[in-house]
Amino acid sequence: MTELIERDDATTEPPTVELSMQQAINRALRVLLAEDPSTLVFGEDVGALGGVFRVTDGLQKEFGDQRVFDTPLAESAIMGMAVGLAMNGWRPVPELQFDGFAYPAVDQIVNQVARMNYRTRGAAPMPITLRLPSFGGIQAPEHHGESLEALFAHTPGLKVAVPSDAAEAYSLLLQSVRSDDPVVYMEPKARYWDRGPVELREPTDPIGTSRIVRHGRHATLIAWGAMVHRCLKVAELAAEDGVDLEVLDLRWLKPIDAAGLAASVSRTRRAVVVHEAPLTAGLGAEVAALVTENCFRDLAAPVQRVTGFDVPYPAGPLEPQYLPTIDRVLFAVQRTLEY
Amino acid sequence: MAEENVTFTLPDLGEGLVEATVLEWQVAVGDRVERNAPLVEVETTKSAVVIPSPKEGRIVELHAEEDEVVAVGAPLVTFAVEADAPQAGIVGRVPTEEARPARRVRLKPPTD
Repeated sequence: MTELIERDDATTEPPTVELSMQQAINRALRVLLAEDPSTLVFGEDVGALGGVFRVTDGLQKEFGDQRVFDTPLAESAIMGMAVGLAMNGWRPVPELQFDGFAYPAVDQIVNQVARMNYRTRGAAPMPITLRLPSFGGIQAPEHHGESLEALFAHTPGLKVAVPSDAAEAYSLLLQSVRSDDPVVYMEPKARYWDRGPVELREPTDPIGTSRIVRHGRHATLIAWGAMVHRCLKVAELAAEDGVDLEVLDLRWLKPIDAAGLAASVSRTRRAVVVHEAPLTAGLGAEVAALVTENCFRDLAAPVQRVTGFDVPYPAGPLEPQYLPTIDRVLFAVQRTLEY
Repeated sequence: MAEENVTFTLPDLGEGLVEATVLEWQVAVGDRVERNAPLVEVETTKSAVVIPSPKEGRIVELHAEEDEVVAVGAPLVTFAVEADAPQAGIVGRVPTEEARPARRVRLKPPTD
């Protein structure tokens, strides 16, 4: 770990450190565990092993096995326990080891975590942050590469956050865990090893805001998670052809930053949504609807979508064909440019 | 990037085996080896098997000659691995990126 800027007692500038996304999440969890004794981290293998992706490495040693602990291999029990703990004043940060294994816990997430605040008229908020290693790109077996964001974003009562790089992972996790609402925090596995500068400071952008990662004028690429990085690559290639693409990282999928989307697309007049999940009823449809509602008079072309296919997530060797390729995104950009 | 030496010991290749004979090394000192690439063929009392490399790195030392018997748990090979190299989790592998991604589609800037 490289300390780029050492903390200087004479200034209040926060240090910036070079971290992978795994390390940034680990660093945020350390901050959160240290600042609030009611915060608990638990899940399969998060304790002694430090997590299958080493995201929780060292936390049990630092904070003890009463606050960072392993659970049985039972996702519904992990989420059920989180509900009980939250009702009794704790701030649980459970991890479900892989996205595809969240399905057994969907009953608890949808029927208890998401509703308890409403059900009790605010007497029992659920300050739970579910950490969920999500999406594909690491050639893992079945059930290890799912994209469940539409399912969670569609569930009233949940917030959904998706970081796209190490710095975002740090700040979004601080916000998620400190929120008294339940948050599904979806970690793009393919970017776990992506290193970048992380300012160890308090988040300043409000929950529910997007960010422009690259400014451009001809079209807006809208993405989240690992697809943000891919869209940045597309934008670099498009620039070689004289096409200037804006890249918008949605980062909060619930609530969605409708105003931020509209501001960008009103400027560029064209939009392409890129996501890993299958096309039909995916979150791209929601984004396209919001853009159409808010930017109808500004749009020069219909919103395009580049997504995974309407098939179960494929085996590792087929991932490169399933995930939106550079060429598929470029082709969609060309369609919108020549509409 | 800093390197560190990691020594791999002979694992129990069956259930309760105590030793194996080195039949043929498939790497030499100085070679770079990929994870899961063939490392060494050994023979136990049950079978002859090729052990895949558990690491990506450079071979620093082979701890046994061919035809030599190695006890389970004894050093087999030492690798120099990059200390900060990304390590995959238990499932999946670290994605690699093309320095310059392949493309076939060319764009035309809009005329408006």
